[in-house]
Amino acid sequence: MKKHKYIIAAAGVALAMSVAVSSCDYLDIEPEMKVPEEQVDFTNTSEMYQAVSGVYAIVRTAGCHWPVNLVTVIRDGDVWSGRYDDQAEMVTVGCNYVYNNSHWAFNDIWVNHYTIIRIATEALKSLDEYAKYITNEADMKKYLSYCAEVRTIRAWAYYRLVQTFGDVTILRDPDQTDLQRSDKRLVYQYMLEGDLDYAWKYGEKLRPNEMEHIGAYTAYTARMIAAKVYLELGDYAKVEECTNDIITSRKFSLYPDFYQLFKIPGKLCDEKLMEVQCTDFGMGSGDIVDTGHFFILGGPGITSITDGRKINGWGFVGYTDKFLNWMKARGEKVRATTSVIYGGQMTPSYDFVDNAANSNNTNNWNGKWYVPMSQITPGRYQYGCANNVCVLRYAEVLLMNSEALVRQGKDGDAPFNLVRTRAEMNPITGVTLQDIIDERRMELCCEWGTRYADLLRYGLAEEFLGPNGWNPSRAYYPVPAEQLNESPELELPPLTH
Amino acid sequence: MALGIFLPVEIYAITVTGKVVDQMDEPLPGVSINVPGTGLATATNDDGTYTLQGVGERAQIRFSFIGAKPVVENVNGRSVINVKMVDDMQILDEVVVIGYGSAKAKDLTSPIAVVKGDAIATIPTPSPMNALQGKVTGVQVLSSGVPGGSPTIRVRGTGSFSDSSPLYVVDGVQYSDIGFLNNDDIEEISVLKDASASAIYGVKAANGVVLVTTKRGRHDMPARVTYNGYVGVQKVGKRLKMANSAEFATMLKEVDERAYRSVLMGSINLWGGDYDTNTFNADTDWYKELLRDAFITNHSLSISGGSKKATYSMGINYLSQDGIMDSDNNYSRWNLRGSLDYDVTSWLTTGFTTLISSSNSQNPQNGAWQFAYSTPSILPVYDENYADAYPVKYASAAQIGIVNNILNAVAMANYPNITNKGNQYLINYYANFKIIPEKLSFRTNYGRDFGSFSNRAFTPAYLVGPAQMSSTSNLSRSNTTYDNWSWENILTYKDKFGKHGVGAMVGYSMYQNKNWGNWSSSTEIPEGREEYWYVSNGNEETAKGGDSGYRERAQSVFARLNYDFDSRYLLMFTMRADGSSKYQQTWGYFPSVGAAWVISNEPFFKNVKNVDFLKLRASWGKLGNNKVAASDGFAAVRTGLAASGVFGNNTYTGYQNTVYYTDLDWEVVNETNVGVSVEMFNSRLQADLDYYYRLTENAIISAKIPFSPHSLAGNYGEIENSGLEFSANWTDRIGNFRYSVGGNLSWLHNRVKTLSGPHYIQTDYVRNQVGEKMNSFYGYKVIGIYQTEAEVAADPVAVTNGFKPGYLKFEDTNGDNVLDAKDYQILGSYIPDLTYGINIAIGYKNIDFAISGYGQAGAELYNAKRLYRRYSAYYNYDRDQVKYRWHGPGTSNTNPSAAALMNSWTTDTKNSYPVESADFFRIQNISLGYTFRNIKMGSYVMPSIRAYVNAERPFTFFSAHSFTPELPDPVGIDNEVYPLYGTYTFGLQIEF
Repeated sequence: MKKHKYIIAAAGVALAMSVAVSSCDYLDIEPEMKVPEEQVDFTNTSEMYQAVSGVYAIVRTAGCHWPVNLVTVIRDGDVWSGRYDDQAEMVTVGCNYVYNNSHWAFNDIWVNHYTIIRIATEALKSLDEYAKYITNEADMKKYLSYCAEVRTIRAWAYYRLVQTFGDVTILRDPDQTDLQRSDKRLVYQYMLEGDLDYAWKYGEKLRPNEMEHIGAYTAYTARMIAAKVYLELGDYAKVEECTNDIITSRKFSLYPDFYQLFKIPGKLCDEKLMEVQCTDFGMGSGDIVDTGHFFILGGPGITSITDGRKINGWGFVGYTDKFLNWMKARGEKVRATTSVIYGGQMTPSYDFVDNAANSNNTNNWNGKWYVPMSQITPGRYQYGCANNVCVLRYAEVLLMNSEALVRQGKDGDAPFNLVRTRAEMNPITGVTLQDIIDERRMELCCEWGTRYADLLRYGLAEEFLGPNGWNPSRAYYPVPAEQLNESPELELPPLTH
Repeated sequence: MALGIFLPVEIYAITVTGKVVDQMDEPLPGVSINVPGTGLATATNDDGTYTLQGVGERAQIRFSFIGAKPVVENVNGRSVINVKMVDDMQILDEVVVIGYGSAKAKDLTSPIAVVKGDAIATIPTPSPMNALQGKVTGVQVLSSGVPGGSPTIRVRGTGSFSDSSPLYVVDGVQYSDIGFLNNDDIEEISVLKDASASAIYGVKAANGVVLVTTKRGRHDMPARVTYNGYVGVQKVGKRLKMANSAEFATMLKEVDERAYRSVLMGSINLWGGDYDTNTFNADTDWYKELLRDAFITNHSLSISGGSKKATYSMGINYLSQDGIMDSDNNYSRWNLRGSLDYDVTSWLTTGFTTLISSSNSQNPQNGAWQFAYSTPSILPVYDENYADAYPVKYASAAQIGIVNNILNAVAMANYPNITNKGNQYLINYYANFKIIPEKLSFRTNYGRDFGSFSNRAFTPAYLVGPAQMSSTSNLSRSNTTYDNWSWENILTYKDKFGKHGVGAMVGYSMYQNKNWGNWSSSTEIPEGREEYWYVSNGNEETAKGGDSGYRERAQSVFARLNYDFDSRYLLMFTMRADGSSKYQQTWGYFPSVGAAWVISNEPFFKNVKNVDFLKLRASWGKLGNNKVAASDGFAAVRTGLAASGVFGNNTYTGYQNTVYYTDLDWEVVNETNVGVSVEMFNSRLQADLDYYYRLTENAIISAKIPFSPHSLAGNYGEIENSGLEFSANWTDRIGNFRYSVGGNLSWLHNRVKTLSGPHYIQTDYVRNQVGEKMNSFYGYKVIGIYQTEAEVAADPVAVTNGFKPGYLKFEDTNGDNVLDAKDYQILGSYIPDLTYGINIAIGYKNIDFAISGYGQAGAELYNAKRLYRRYSAYYNYDRDQVKYRWHGPGTSNTNPSAAALMNSWTTDTKNSYPVESADFFRIQNISLGYTFRNIKMGSYVMPSIRAYVNAERPFTFFSAHSFTPELPDPVGIDNEVYPLYGTYTFGLQIEF
């Protein structure tokens, strides 16, 4: 039949079109939007720092997550969690040394710090990719110093892990399958040889506030972490060497105003070796890049008496009466007014501090986390808003130097008295170890658990904390149950060599 | 053909009357009567009589009635025509829509469930799939309570950890969701359950295929105008009871009276009460404050008909649904649809279908339910004396010293204003060529689905408390445009040679899915009028924006061959090759085979009484699941402010380059099905029994990355789903009394069969272990509560860990007196063993009544809500936690004490305390209707009006301390705080 021809022709055309379309590379399209890893343009070495910047970000988001702060500062007998009515278990954790390894906060700390380590390791790999395309000396120098910054951060994360958990796993590669822990001395060794020596060698010999990326960590930051590690290892000659490297550089000095050191004016001052930086861009609305609740955790309610603005924190973390009495007995001046703010009183910056709503909770808080209303950008209502988190500062370098000298039978008075006089306290001659541990207790109170580490180091924990239930088996927090469940090899005795 | 149509003039018009009876000579009311080719139509009255005026004396009259064989009478000048209608129970002669074609139900080799449009037209659900709940064996429908929300659908269990929703094919065009369709626009829904039926859809078919046919006209059909509408109310029936102020205070006092006195006194000091007697003037039932009876209405008007050469169907529908949250939230949708088919020549038919769907919604702040759950009742909703609050005087937990985590739920419901607008245009053109009439035809079909969605979220400057405020107003907007097209070409052949019937189909299809969108936001937006809410009006310095896009292409070739011998032996083969741009592996091949033996057509079966039809079926097929992502991992490079370091007062653009990345392949399902279909007692009883075995290979499972909060998915294992499905339906009529009783049961056996590598793979809540159900909960098994100090002292585990009376007692399975991961057990799974539905329908004369029920058994859920206390001690309790708590020796051996509820041994360990039964039974639907026939309106006779009342989901019975055991979370983690509601409607179905 004639009409069949047309039908067949029409159908044929349709089929032919199908075939025609399908024969070209119809399916061979790139996914939209995705920039796979391979496509980071490693030839563009001017973008090298982006990988480094990402590592700083993870320190801010993971390393300063509020439970990290809370769990770190509450077990030295001087500071407690401050609240019976919420997170009440933190009172027993910090004051009675009863740990449930299932508690979510322990897992949070473990995971957050290994996340920093993973991201840092990946950033080093990315930097190595860029390095393949580097053609000039200047860029090569940058590459090395950038690697030094990342390695410093990685070492700091391990330092925090050892301080918290004791023996931990060395995660050399993110894909590592054997997750058995190593003895803490082995971890310290790994940090020193792997990252801190490198960072000292290739890092910029500058103060953080002199860096191209202002506030970035330098060779001196790494040197200070190394000093802290040697202190733990009891290698006082190395402590002296490391702290001397920092002191003799003449780059660092104590910020004269101890009170403002912890506030906005003290941001990036010459005393700071390591800060976790935050900003609200100076704007009263819009983005804020900060640690979330690091400061809010430890804030009372404060009201500006000049304009009536109010800010509330969560009211955790307070000093024990024992500590406050000891402080008063010492005749502390600026360190007393800076380190503690009291409910129902006015701060030196004329903010009124609300009494604790719950009279069983602490009615004093850590003043070092307090930022006066007058320094907060109008429009912002977060406690401690946009302040940097101070991690390492020169005062501790001086005190470590003093201790190293005294431990080796030398005179440690000079560095020691620099710290004391800045705090408007009379100098001491013939400084003893007891003077040093007391000075550290005061100067560094409620800063990253230094007092607790000192008690362990000096072997004083039994004496000070034992009556509350402390014993050597509770020196460190337990490996989180969540991790033991996922990686049973964590139960094995730690590697010792 | 009707002779009358060809006559130039009707010579005489006469009036015809008569009576219609059924095969038992009982009068039959409601029989549709019409004269083809004219607009004349009526229906029989209650006594079976009718009158039809102005009938041509040589015309034909057509009588039709559901369930009866149609009768056509030539008038031939008669003025009285009595008719007897014979039952037509031969539903198996019905034609069923199958993939890329249709087939007679009796010729099928696989189980295909068909739901007629009538069965769902009056069910008040925004999405048609909701209305299928309990109606189809082996199809699990988990309803969502959000206005306009679509349900979760699972066909034959869960073989995938990824999206397990089925593929929808609407008039031949594929969609991932059909929430935009109106129930009343649907002619029929076919659910292809087994692999041999769905394999023709290849890589998209592993989760089952739902074929939807929308209403179309028919040739030589007078215009049929129908209206279907209802108004109703959505009302929360059962909800989880929360503790009141006195109960809350009792709990806190038992934990540590000293610690909590101040907060309790705070409420009393500000708002009144008495501490010692636990009396609080502030005693807010937050759910009560947030709930309202919400209005729902739906109106559909449709016209369909056809002439000799063309058929048409048009419809307009309006749905408006208010949310049950007592704030501005609602969903409304206008749908316009039209379809036209035209026989251009004897060999060419063309046509199109269009649907324009336009929706508007104001979203509820579902987060408010969360705080209705967690905020204790000792806080009032408003406090006029609270100076700090603006613009509305909401009370804040900060007033009594609770500064974090506890927010005012009513304020939460009201502050941000989020609206969505969507416009969808679905167009489908086709041309059908009859190359050899009745034998060979070719169809080409082009479908296009495009549209846009826009979202706007505005928050004014407000303050409730320090944790619930916005110091400036802010606005974010996003717009997404999508454009999908598909093109299909199908050549179909069928023929018969003696006793040999053959059929063949080959096809080719291609599609592209594409979308792109942009978003922007800013702060300090002028408040007041909605017209000001533009990002451009905000602070330029804080304004931000971005865009994104997606594109995916696929092409496929497919074929089907079928053969039957003497309607006794049926064979079917299908094959599909699918190519996709989404995966590393581009092409996949999906074959299937099916066979059936119609025993009842065998000569030896002739003498078997009471069995009208008996068929054995067997089939096998391979399917793919492409609902899995092409890869897993964090975006290969993470960027943005959260990945950027701060240096001074600025950020330096950073990235976090992570290598947790796997390329994934689609999952492959192999399924074998054997079944039997039977009809007995003159087709009054129909029953189907099927057994299936599905094996998912390449199953994508998420595994926790060590030392990380993340999991990474990989093609790790094999999942086995086997089951038995049984459905039976009995339909009969005794005089004016019609009834049907039906039921369906599905047993499901789900197991992880193999895992490559580890013995088990787990995430925080669930573990996949060989031989256990997929995604099983795991942890310590609670074996009681410590009652006394002596009991604690006698148990080394309790002593070591400092347990107290009232604490949970965990089973130390290995007896080593240490509680650790070695003591973990499998504690249950959200996958049910059994799902079942029953339905009963009764009709007497003009009255119809139907009731249906639906339930599941053998499933557990993980009540994560009860563990939130780890984040704040001030979270409220559900009433049973208070009522049944341990508070002294012998008071409870299952519910921990108030102190234990706040302890990390309860909230942070993996244990069976939050694992509860997810079994439920629900009265799904009750309806009662009355039909009025032949209503005279002047000279016009309206054929019928049915008025009905309907209750959808009126009662649900379950024991879990949950708002609903039907969870959106696929592994059964219950964070749900959305109250479950029933919908009660009054409706009218009018035929003009």
